[in-house]
Amino acid sequence: MNDAIPSLRSASALVPSRAGAGLKAVHYQDIIDNQPDIGWFEIHPENYMGRGGAPLRYLERIRSDYPISMHSVGTSLGSHQPLDTKHLDDLKYLVDRFQPGLISEHLSWSHGYEWFTHDLIPLVYTQASLDLVVDHIQQVQDRLQRQILIENPSSYLQFKQSDIPEQHFLVEAAKRSGAGLLLDVNNVYVSCSNHQWDIEEYLAPIPAELVGEIHLAGHAVQALGNEQVLLIDDHGSPVCTAVWELYRNCIDRIGTVPTLIERDSNIPDFATLYNEVQYAEYYLRQSKEVNRVSTC
Amino acid sequence: MSQLAELQQAFCDALRSPEMPTDALLDAIVDDGLNLQRFNVYRNNFIVLNGDALADMYPVIKRLVGDEAFRVLATAYVRSHPPQARTLLLYGDQFPAFLASIPELVELPYLADVARIEFAWTEAYHAQEHPVLTEDQVSSITADAFGQCQLLPHPTLHCIGSDYPIYSIWQANQSCETDELISLDQGESYVIVLRPEIDVEVSTVSQGAFHFLKQLQSGAIIEAAYEVAIEQDSTFDLGVFLTQHLLDGTFFQINS
Ligand SMILES: [Fe+2]
Repeated sequence: MNDAIPSLRSASALVPSRAGAGLKAVHYQDIIDNQPDIGWFEIHPENYMGRGGAPLRYLERIRSDYPISMHSVGTSLGSHQPLDTKHLDDLKYLVDRFQPGLISEHLSWSHGYEWFTHDLIPLVYTQASLDLVVDHIQQVQDRLQRQILIENPSSYLQFKQSDIPEQHFLVEAAKRSGAGLLLDVNNVYVSCSNHQWDIEEYLAPIPAELVGEIHLAGHAVQALGNEQVLLIDDHGSPVCTAVWELYRNCIDRIGTVPTLIERDSNIPDFATLYNEVQYAEYYLRQSKEVNRVSTC
Repeated sequence: MSQLAELQQAFCDALRSPEMPTDALLDAIVDDGLNLQRFNVYRNNFIVLNGDALADMYPVIKRLVGDEAFRVLATAYVRSHPPQARTLLLYGDQFPAFLASIPELVELPYLADVARIEFAWTEAYHAQEHPVLTEDQVSSITADAFGQCQLLPHPTLHCIGSDYPIYSIWQANQSCETDELISLDQGESYVIVLRPEIDVEVSTVSQGAFHFLKQLQSGAIIEAAYEVAIEQDSTFDLGVFLTQHLLDGTFFQINS
């Protein structure tokens, strides 16, 4: 890494109501060299759970210039097994060291056995699993001494046993545990399409004041038989027009909250990703303007 | 076992297996005539996400066997060695041994050893920070006492010996443009992987130096390590080796 460029700032921890980008290793040097005007970056803490080396040094440098949020993928809140206290310790260490403005995790599980799927598997939505998830969220919050945000998942199947609609399950889990919500607008779009749920019905029960962050990403379209398609949440392409449209409706309704462009595959150069972040930034500004005028 | 535990375990079993999921599992999924295809998205994700992590760790192996063959190997590895940790940073630690166990790869006997370099690279990359040996620490030791000291290699050091020219193979495949031919007749190589600061360094050393370092790593005093090294390689020159490497980051501490 280029140590010759000293850090100019000591950024606040607070994640502003602006657009941010997922921090990718291939962009580290570009960001340090060019200091782009961007609100914040998001990381997966699990990618920084090595014991040392370049990733942690880069993160330290970038954190001194920007606020960050931590979006965990490894606690497995929906797992039937107890949470892993060692993993929570590792998370706590990173939280203390890097002071993220926001911390989030998915409503899903990845640890169903002795091993890890490293993919986010949907839950059965029942009273019993709600109790379990609430307990797990509280354990994470107790360990971190912080509120966390719970993200609505993208999914490709539903379990017959489920008897609580996903959106009600999410809101209940957040209210009972004291957590907030991370509203992934692309996930709403993907899951509603995959399960023929009504988007309006999905969003209606979500209280604006619970939403602390929004995610936007691209998805792929997989053709099945009978002219049906499944939308695959692969974070591998730009955000599609329909999701931008839905996003604008969401921020007009719930307010302008920090918004992340997620990109995890087919990662473009930083300038291209930055352009996409500017769309979100533009819509956030526009929405603020509209709300200001209407409340005058 | 709770119903949830049963369902999650059945789901995991089916993710990992190439066989048709059990009726019990498919019955648990809302069926619109597509429940198998819906399940298969997860099975595919499981193989692809973890296989991609393996491809990131083993770019040279991927180049050597080709994309198609790598995908087949990665799929078999993910199924037989599902991830044991909550991070993917070191996923693939058993891949070198796995490659050595595949009968179809006997024509590429160097593959597992090249993979050892790649794993060592990643392990060193994420290793804990440690200082390197300084001149001050060395100058506190008298010449008489030197041979009785423990000279500890840097904790990020990995020593990889092979009957094949794995360093040349690894080096030639660092970029995509190469079409260099490497003769296996070049014979054995002794590779060290090290990360004294931020960058991982891969280099070759003589057979004697290799054994000297391995002895020191296991805690031998300098004199004893030298004796083993010279027995393996009569050309080993300790003076030349130390002039070059004592203060270049190869070492961590010296204890009298
Ligand atoms: Fe997301």
